[in-house]
Amino acid sequence: MAQTSRTLSRREFFKASGLLAAGALGGPALLGGLRTAQAATETMTPAWDSRFGVCDMCFNKCGLIARVENGVVTKLDPNPKFVKSRGMLCARGNAGISHVYDPDRLKHPLLRKGGRGEGKWQRIPWDEALDMAAQKMDEVREKYLPCGHLFTAGTDMQSLFVERLAEAYGSFNLTSHESLCLVSGSRAFLDTFGEVPFADVLHSKYVIMVGANRFEALVTPDSMDLMTAMREHGCKLVTLDPRYTKTAALSDEWYPIRPGTDMAFMLALAHVIVGEGLYDPQWIEEKTYGMEQLREHVKPYTPGFAAEQCGIPAEDIARIARELAAAAPASMVYPGRRSSDYEDSTQIRRSFAIVNGLLGNWDRPGGLLGARAVGLKGVPYDAPWYDDNHDDRIDAGKVPMMFEHEGSFMVTRDSILADDPYPIRGWFVYKTNPMATAPNRAKTIEMMHKMDFVTVVDIAMSDTAWYADLVLPSQSYLERIDPCSGLQGSSACACVVKRDPVIEPLYESRPLFDIVKGIAGRLDLGEYFDFTIEQFREKQLADLPGADGIMDRDGVYYNPSKVYGIYDGLVYKTLSQKVELYNQRYEQMGIDPLPVYTPPVQPPANQFRLVVGRNALVTQGSTTNNTLLHEFVPTNTLWLNPGPAGKLGIADGDLVEVSSAVGRQAIRAEVTDKIREDTVYMLTGFNTLSTQQRLAHGNGASIAEILDGGYDTVTGNAALHLTFVTVTRKVA
Amino acid sequence: MARQLAMVIDSAKCMDCKACVAACKVANHTPEGQWRNWIKLDDSPPRPGASNRKARFQPGACMHCDNPTCVAACPTGATYKDAETGEVVIDEGLCIGCGNCLPACPYHARFRNAEKRKADKCNYCPERRSAGLDPACVDTCPTKARVFGDINDPQSEAGRLYLANKERLARVVAATDTKPNMFYLGDPGPEHWAGEAVIPASMVALKQSAPLIKGIVALSGLGVLVMLGRQLLAGSGDSHSGSGPSGDKENTDA
Repeated sequence: MAQTSRTLSRREFFKASGLLAAGALGGPALLGGLRTAQAATETMTPAWDSRFGVCDMCFNKCGLIARVENGVVTKLDPNPKFVKSRGMLCARGNAGISHVYDPDRLKHPLLRKGGRGEGKWQRIPWDEALDMAAQKMDEVREKYLPCGHLFTAGTDMQSLFVERLAEAYGSFNLTSHESLCLVSGSRAFLDTFGEVPFADVLHSKYVIMVGANRFEALVTPDSMDLMTAMREHGCKLVTLDPRYTKTAALSDEWYPIRPGTDMAFMLALAHVIVGEGLYDPQWIEEKTYGMEQLREHVKPYTPGFAAEQCGIPAEDIARIARELAAAAPASMVYPGRRSSDYEDSTQIRRSFAIVNGLLGNWDRPGGLLGARAVGLKGVPYDAPWYDDNHDDRIDAGKVPMMFEHEGSFMVTRDSILADDPYPIRGWFVYKTNPMATAPNRAKTIEMMHKMDFVTVVDIAMSDTAWYADLVLPSQSYLERIDPCSGLQGSSACACVVKRDPVIEPLYESRPLFDIVKGIAGRLDLGEYFDFTIEQFREKQLADLPGADGIMDRDGVYYNPSKVYGIYDGLVYKTLSQKVELYNQRYEQMGIDPLPVYTPPVQPPANQFRLVVGRNALVTQGSTTNNTLLHEFVPTNTLWLNPGPAGKLGIADGDLVEVSSAVGRQAIRAEVTDKIREDTVYMLTGFNTLSTQQRLAHGNGASIAEILDGGYDTVTGNAALHLTFVTVTRKVA
Repeated sequence: MARQLAMVIDSAKCMDCKACVAACKVANHTPEGQWRNWIKLDDSPPRPGASNRKARFQPGACMHCDNPTCVAACPTGATYKDAETGEVVIDEGLCIGCGNCLPACPYHARFRNAEKRKADKCNYCPERRSAGLDPACVDTCPTKARVFGDINDPQSEAGRLYLANKERLARVVAATDTKPNMFYLGDPGPEHWAGEAVIPASMVALKQSAPLIKGIVALSGLGVLVMLGRQLLAGSGDSHSGSGPSGDKENTDA
């Protein structure tokens, strides 16, 4: 205390003398300066206006409040009333400012002048750009019929207008990002429960996390709710991952499972649960179909068998099965999102779904929940019919259970390269970047070279835009009005959000809606876009009186719809109208009705399996040029275990060459015991082809260049874990 | 009882997502490569199987200590402990950017702002607080691991947590015990990273010396201030203090 008073008096002395000095010199400057410094800690009305928004730095759509000063966003804060994200805004959300004010943003329409990917562009006016886009689309349709044009749209609140444009134009060929991400998992759960579930981790007592990394690959509200469940409700978390992720680090148990053996683990869980009768017989009897077939099927999949496959002790597998069953129905095998791993990914995820079926957790607290009513209405339209057209999508019939509305990018690409069964020569892309996200980049480049004309609408010069003919600058999520979007937040909420402009649009950027409206008008399809977004929203909200005003007040509207027991008195949307442990439709189609385990091919000697994974500071190629996020993740590295690194003479930080059957890249090695000896890992989104991504171009390695391009045989979902690579030290 | 603004943190809830670090950086315009807050990582090697402890990540920042060694190291009194709020404050108008306070903080919470050329650290976001908002790091945290408030006010969330968990509250242990006002609930996570407060010998001498020497040293400080005042008046007429480049250089070298 004595010290405090001494320093205070010193301060007071200096302050007084400083004031005297300033006063003696007749200087108001210092006085003013001091007064400002004092005032800052007391009372001050904020210098900013606060406006609601919806984040767009990943797919989650978290509610935010933009602090705007003189027309400029100075801070993005979470909307505390936004329950789905539990009132948070992550690092990427905070870095949204660097996204919107990125000096590398596209500023005006650009027309390619040199060869594809040469980077020679000419600035053209908007009218000319729209004339050209429409004219080229018309030419493609003349020559190759409407289905000769491909449309691809990423996750965005305006992507539904790309779909509308494709249908009005007459093409069935529409692909989304999802077949490079999650459709095999969606397929598996849909074909077990009749719909894709939401995980009620908040009320769960036991969660097995496999093929997901929820504390790094943030999903709202799951990531936050899992932490709350663990910290405040005593939920146990068991994670299987070849990497020691942050999720693994925070788990009660972590096992570095051999990649590609998840199904063996799940079937062994089922073996124990069924064999030891650790299920609710009434639930199984009333709600499920195929228990007897499953009982027979899982007999050979003992914990001992799984132990050999997975590299996890048999007694631990058996114990985990018993603990999981004891916590049921408030327990789960977490249904992860990105399920694009292997050629049997749908079957792998089916094994996850089946264990959940045995736990009887569907529609119950702490288990898997069906979608809640949001109340948002679709806005239907009658797409024109073109007699002179191809019969179906180009990727139709090539895998048995593709999602029609998502398509398969991998199958579409192969089909376009082979003109099988017909040529596609035009491509319209909005806010997705398959050049950076689809495996085997060389093939995507080849696909680009097949095209007569490619139009890309995006906020920045992505690698896909880099190979296009026409690049149109779109607006960021803070500059535009968007349709309403219904969101599911598990037990947290079912809600509606909308976007209104927070700032004036920068440069010559335009919203996608205006662009497709402009193109449609030039193609005599104006009637399909004969409305404003405000009118569109009115139609969406027709059944939710008052919701619009509530969104203006709170930034979000909640529908207080039923959370649990949605299925009381209802049947499941499956063939048997029950939870299909055994899938009858698969049987009819010649697909294994119960998942049959095939051991993964092991990497040849001196090679590694390359796995992909997520990081809370990176959304693929859309954030690697973000100045703030770049400070956190300045480059990507190759995770390499110290054992093999030693044998290969590779030290931490060494430049290495990673090569696969399809490509090679140079990257710095990160020698770490956070990864298995037979596996290597790197982040996506780095080393762009586009030089207009200054922080990502020539920085690190492009994983899309190295990954080989297989796909899930049921859905056509990209299989991202099939690639074996050699790693050699690069001599400078 | 006087207020003591503080943070009560549950390290076990931290998933090292860096939202707090990003939010702080944007809110406070911290220059590239400089940070007011952090998350310390547990570097124990990964062990398969059951885990023995849960806190792997430890959020932190200036701990607004009860025994602030940075205050002792400051020659001008720019750094002081606010008697009313318990904050350790930097008065930018008085800071000469000498850097004495940097090694005086055993938690390395201070840095010399590369743009302002002044000492910088967490100030609990005063502009936000006066607008009724939490500090940026607290507001944005996904798992609400950071809780901020007056720990002497049982009505506040921080005070409630502080009082309810008094026996198990932990603090970061440094070689110099500064009595930090950053409290961790139970296991604080990563240990042994904090160092020793290094206060320049001249300042130690000052503290132990007779009032006469103190007065002389203080007068020399007054000289610096007079020079600073001159520079200011010679420069632009705006109200920001200490913006002259040569003055900065001189003060930095001091």
